[in-house]
Amino acid sequence: MSADERDRLASEYVLGLLDAEEMRRCEERLARDAGLAVQVELWRARLAELDATAAPVTPDPALWPRIEAALAVPAPKAARPTPARPSRLATWWESLSLWRGYGLAASAALVLLAIGTAQLARQAAQAPVLVAVLLSDQNQPAAVVNAFRDGRTELLALSALKAPEGKSLQVWTLWDRERGPVSVGLLEAMRNVELSVEGLPRPAAAQLYEVTLEPAGGSPTGRPTGPILMKGNASPTETGI
Amino acid sequence: MTTLLPTLEGATEDDLAEALHGCARGDRAGLQLLYDRLAPKMTGVALRMLRRRDLADEVVHDTFLRIWDKADSFDAARGRPTSWAFAILRNTALNVLRGEGRMELVGDFEAIEPASEEADAETLVMALSEASALRRCLDRLEPARRRAILLAYMRGLTHGELAGRLGVPLGTAKAWIRRSLLTLRECMT
Repeated sequence: MSADERDRLASEYVLGLLDAEEMRRCEERLARDAGLAVQVELWRARLAELDATAAPVTPDPALWPRIEAALAVPAPKAARPTPARPSRLATWWESLSLWRGYGLAASAALVLLAIGTAQLARQAAQAPVLVAVLLSDQNQPAAVVNAFRDGRTELLALSALKAPEGKSLQVWTLWDRERGPVSVGLLEAMRNVELSVEGLPRPAAAQLYEVTLEPAGGSPTGRPTGPILMKGNASPTETGI
Repeated sequence: MTTLLPTLEGATEDDLAEALHGCARGDRAGLQLLYDRLAPKMTGVALRMLRRRDLADEVVHDTFLRIWDKADSFDAARGRPTSWAFAILRNTALNVLRGEGRMELVGDFEAIEPASEEADAETLVMALSEASALRRCLDRLEPARRRAILLAYMRGLTHGELAGRLGVPLGTAKAWIRRSLLTLRECMT
């Protein structure tokens, strides 16, 4: 590889122009080509000012505790071989905690509101032990999921969303990354409905509920394949689990 | 060239290098210092690339775990701590952009607006310091080519995506970018 080719590869790598396969090859080469590594450093230094122009965004307060918790490895750091940490971005359902932190502060008030509403509606009747407010991508409450002590779980629609022709709305829940999301309902339009949770473990705090857009009749793979229309995590109510 | 990012007031690159050495020894306070100083800007950069707050947060999360794991490979002789840390952030974000999550990024709610991207690219140039060599050198490029470079960096677009966005054939986009990068390198060396 000539000096010019090396410089070009370095610049395209740092700029982020390479596709996944080119990136992988470039990183392999970086490990054994010190000249390329130097060019990469030079390009990083040249372009670093562009990152400095990004408006700072206050991180979600829940983020640092999550990071710190993930550091809690039993073995002393120096002694342990570097484990290949699976990327939690690989598949979204692996990132239960992603959703847990998402919009938590924003939805806290909504949760209280929903709990209040649900309790009013039921008066002396049984109150839910868990409530999840499902927020749209715009952070607007779109549905509420109430889970009751006996495991019965209902979805209350707060929006009149309808699936387009040839599509369905599918409701999922996720409590275990190993198991992955499980379908608990299929709708043509958002409406109040009892979710099909027979045979599933009792719902737990932080359990994820979400609605995705799927082909009519539901996802052909048994996993969510379409865009997420709304999602939220369950919070325990005063009644407790 | 500016070496300190604006968020780093009160912490020099030396402090950050020391914090990285702390991480390599297993000292969490080191990671927390890096987080306090870098996370807001990192979240901003990740948000600019991914345009989704939840993904940006997750990228920042994974970035700090990687910083923790890789801190012992940081070599102050080869680069600055911020440059090193932001390289990890950018790579993590690019992996999301190039990975399976791709489809989710352009869901129903994420209509791409080329007009706003153009504005973004110009705003970005204006945000660079008047004295910046990068700004002076970017100004030497034709507007469309400058935009291509900026969009690639800011949004992580590939050659193919840039060609589509600029409305030129792939070969043309590649040649533009190649020549623009050459101009930049010569101007900044």
